[in-house]
Amino acid sequence: MVRSFVPQVAALAWASLLCAQAPAPAAPSAPARDLTGIWMVRNPSSMRAYAGATFTKEEPDLTPWALAKYKEAKNSNNGIYTLETTNDPVITKCYPPGVPRVYFHPYPFEFVSTPNYLLMLYEYDHTLRRIYTDGRALPRDPDPNWMGTSVGRWENDTTFVVESVGFNDKTWLDRLGHPHSTELRVTERFRRTDRDHLQIDFIIQDPKALQKPWTSTFFAELRPKWELGEISCSGDYLDFKTFEK
Amino acid sequence: MRHLRAKLLVSVAVAVAALLILSARGWAHHGTAAFDTEQMVTVKGVITDFVYTNPHVQVYFECKNEKGESEKWQGELTAPNKLNRAGWTKHTLKPGDEVTVTGNRAKNGGRTLWIRKLVGPDGNSLQLFEE
Repeated sequence: MVRSFVPQVAALAWASLLCAQAPAPAAPSAPARDLTGIWMVRNPSSMRAYAGATFTKEEPDLTPWALAKYKEAKNSNNGIYTLETTNDPVITKCYPPGVPRVYFHPYPFEFVSTPNYLLMLYEYDHTLRRIYTDGRALPRDPDPNWMGTSVGRWENDTTFVVESVGFNDKTWLDRLGHPHSTELRVTERFRRTDRDHLQIDFIIQDPKALQKPWTSTFFAELRPKWELGEISCSGDYLDFKTFEK
Repeated sequence: MRHLRAKLLVSVAVAVAALLILSARGWAHHGTAAFDTEQMVTVKGVITDFVYTNPHVQVYFECKNEKGESEKWQGELTAPNKLNRAGWTKHTLKPGDEVTVTGNRAKNGGRTLWIRKLVGPDGNSLQLFEE
């Protein structure tokens, strides 16, 4: 009995050794109620076909009003419209990108914590959002802003939920030109799954533009060694004429 | 000056797979429409100016074509802050540096490139993107 038992013990020991070696080193768990730091959107390769330009592979359920506006959009992602021919409001006029369009600019953003609000600093064009955490409600009749008016609350120790209203209607929801109205309401649910990873669930609602809420999830990674620099929309663009044959 | 005599190599339909990988992360707000992303062009030349500016860093260089004529080229990189994070400074390139520049040429035929690879004066390929 004893002899037949020994190989099993050995097998178990070997198995446990393998198990101990198998898992990749896990990132430390997320600190409680803290998003402080610089983050970079890094979506998985399975989303690469669309995530640089829009939220989902499928088209959102646009209202006729929004569909008509969308048909007028000449985005510069599809290889047809150049800097001279696109009507992208950010590229042509350096308008602030708006929310949630700001997530389509390939630059990091930073959370800065203060007692009564959280600052969101987007490197792209020095874009700033102030997320109030002092318990105030969203304004019932907000003034229209480029980046809206936002309040946030901790749903649990690792999930921070931001609600935003009060947008003007001059920006696009994405880089393809899906439009929105001043009735836009954006929910961003920032879930810090471990110290280094952030999952951002979006709920985009706009009764004038969307037949039903448009939902998506993006992912971001902590960049502890980075510092935010300066990237300005304005500047000198390529002058092709100078270098024509 | 013989070493300045550079070759102009046009390679057609190169590295489509690599383009697909790169295209998702490299572009800033311009988009790709002005450039022919189906083709890569490689130019070996000498830096005449390097402008570390927003929104995109500009590289100016000169080469001699097969007829021995001088050609002026312009290339565009990403934003300076992204290059900073890839290890660049405003001094990384300077006039007189010999470089080999590979990129997508402007659709209108201009001597303008969206730079996808840049081999610096020491013969090493410079990192063009942050991690």
